[in-house]
Amino acid sequence: MTKRRMFFRMITASLLRRRSRMLIALLSIGIGATILAGLVTIYVDVPRQMGAQFRSYGANMLLLPRDDAVLDSDHLAEALKSIPPEELIGAAPYRYVRLDMTSRQQSFTAAGTDFSQVPKTSPYFSVEGTYPEKNREILVGKSIADTIGVKVGSTMELTYQPAASSEELTPEESRQPGADLSGSAEGFGGGMVYVSFRLDDRGAIASLEVDVSTQTPEYGGRTAEDEAFLSRFRGKTLPLAVGEDVDALSGATVTSEAIVTAINTARKTEAAVKPQTMTFTVTGILTTGGEEEGYVFLSLQDMQSLTGSPRLDVAELSVSAGADQLESYADTMTRGSDTVQARLVKRVTRSEASVLEKLTALVFLVTLVVLLLTMICVSTTMMAVVSERRREIGLRKALGASDRSIRQEFLGEGLFLGLLGGIMGAVLGFVFAQVVSVHVFGSPITFQPLLLPVTMIVSMAIAALSCLLPIKRAVAIDPAIVLKGE
Amino acid sequence: MSLLELKNVSKIYGDLKALDNVSLHVDQGEWVAIMGPSGSGKSTMMNIIGCMDKPTQGEVLLDGVDISRESSKNLTDIRRDKIGLIFQQFHMVNYLTAVENVMVSQYYHSMPDEKEALEALERVGLRERARHLPSQLSGGEQQRVCVARALINHPELILADEPTGNLDEANENIVLDLFAQLHREGTTLIVVTHDPEVAEAAQRTIVLEHGKVAREVINENFGKGSLQ
Ligand SMILES: Nc1ncnc2c1ncn2[C@@H]1O[C@H](COP(=O)(O)OP(=O)(O)OP(=O)(O)O)[C@@H](O)[C@H]1O
Ligand SMILES: [Mg+2]
Repeated sequence: MTKRRMFFRMITASLLRRRSRMLIALLSIGIGATILAGLVTIYVDVPRQMGAQFRSYGANMLLLPRDDAVLDSDHLAEALKSIPPEELIGAAPYRYVRLDMTSRQQSFTAAGTDFSQVPKTSPYFSVEGTYPEKNREILVGKSIADTIGVKVGSTMELTYQPAASSEELTPEESRQPGADLSGSAEGFGGGMVYVSFRLDDRGAIASLEVDVSTQTPEYGGRTAEDEAFLSRFRGKTLPLAVGEDVDALSGATVTSEAIVTAINTARKTEAAVKPQTMTFTVTGILTTGGEEEGYVFLSLQDMQSLTGSPRLDVAELSVSAGADQLESYADTMTRGSDTVQARLVKRVTRSEASVLEKLTALVFLVTLVVLLLTMICVSTTMMAVVSERRREIGLRKALGASDRSIRQEFLGEGLFLGLLGGIMGAVLGFVFAQVVSVHVFGSPITFQPLLLPVTMIVSMAIAALSCLLPIKRAVAIDPAIVLKGE
Repeated sequence: MSLLELKNVSKIYGDLKALDNVSLHVDQGEWVAIMGPSGSGKSTMMNIIGCMDKPTQGEVLLDGVDISRESSKNLTDIRRDKIGLIFQQFHMVNYLTAVENVMVSQYYHSMPDEKEALEALERVGLRERARHLPSQLSGGEQQRVCVARALINHPELILADEPTGNLDEANENIVLDLFAQLHREGTTLIVVTHDPEVAEAAQRTIVLEHGKVAREVINENFGKGSLQ
């Protein structure tokens, strides 16, 4: 038999045949290791867990068109390839335009979007009814619904007036002799006033048509029929000034001024796009507590049918990744495309980072305290073990054990305890973390294979450290006590 | 040839002289008994000879080496290599079996060898009880395991402090028989005892009183007793 085998035979015998005392030491190491392993598991898994939690606060990244570029769904799909699918919670595209509700003389901001993505990027959206599932269905913000009195199941007729969208040439650039111009402006009560006119070869207004159907017929509505009022515009060059070039029609001041504004901001009429009207069925009323309550939401297809353009204004992304990782995704996307630029929603990512930081500090602190308590407990137990075994240690020394042998034996026992406690801790710790994770975060934890060796090494180190003082005691024992018959 | 020589050795605790100017020599292969009333310094002397304590004054030559000047580490080495110890209380490691207890001594000395350890137990008549824990052995059996442990490394000198103090007649005889065997093999034995019968088994008895050697008695009957 080698010395090493005898060494192991002695320390295992000491642990196995002197169960009660060693059980306490083993238990304290085991419990310490359990808490340690549990906390570390949670700690490693927490960014993922918390990430999922944080994602409920909404998008943390925006994709915007770069400068003058036009962004569409294809660009968006291309850009999203930079993010691993498992980290991409959702990506909701948005196209914002003003739509008019002719019957109510109202106009609203309308958002075209992908309704399958909205609940993912904006989980806090609360819908009474359902999200639209088909085309020609619409989600109406609560404040709009209250104002115009629509309910789930109501229909709404909405019109898109192309000139209202500011694209192509500026008003100044549009004022070329012989050009056909059209424009719009907000009139009385938020209703839109539309104008279309032609410039003659001097650049003065040759003919003028106004559409004031959103205005009150007895007041603003009269402007369209008042030939005297309309004739005053002919022959005038742009821009017009109320009170100088033309006077407001009495009793229709707001509408008159809107007509002047519409003329001053008019642009070249695009032959391709004519005002488009669609009828929608309301499927849900949206409550968000934010400005979205003043919007209507329709599908991207409907938006494209209305505007004749597939362009997007923005895409909101919800990505489950840390701040640094997000930064790098944003970088990659911005650099890899000349249409897209990615931006982080700093408010969200920053609060994520700071919460994680605090959590890290907390876990670290608790771990430290647990390790310290474990050490005190193991140390005390080992101290008791040493005084209990005074005679045995004296005997070993009398039999010729050097201080080194005594040290080795106690350290060996300590490390062995640490090993057993570590294995026990890794297993129980995982269970502990699992329970915590399921109860607190509502999702199971993934097993970290590294956990077993790490927990074993740490608990062995703790056990060894705890043994230092007891070992010092053991070494100091005088072999002569054996002869004295103490 | 002298194996052990004490020259004017004193051990002083405060104003108590546990050993007072003791001189003594023991030849190689000699069997010496030490007697004396309680508190006369017997255990103190054994501790010094056994390299577990140092005298306050004087020289102790073991195999020509002055162990009163050695460091405690060297003393451990000397004790391990040259001395086998047997105690009044049967000190065994209580969670190790009989054979393992014997092997502990081998372990510190050189190499544990189970076969040899079992042979040593055979010699003290405990081959069958090798796998028993101390709690499963009688006092006499435990003391015999201790004898086996003391002789396993073939020490030059066996020190026994009241080896038979807690034993009955039968076990006392077994132990004395073993001592006689060891003596015949040339091992030097120093046995502290209160028991005149045990002292009579030795060649020479040294009587201590108040830390001093009071007298020495040569055993005329040595080799003729019933134990032989
Ligand atoms: N460490 C010590 N400190 C102080 N006094 C001690 C110490 N060790 C022994 N003594 C004293 O020295 C004296 C001799 O003690 P020792 O143990 O050698 O006696 P002993 O002859 O073995 O007695 P016994 O037959 O009872 O075993 C005693 O008076 C004892 O009290
Ligand atoms: Mg004594």
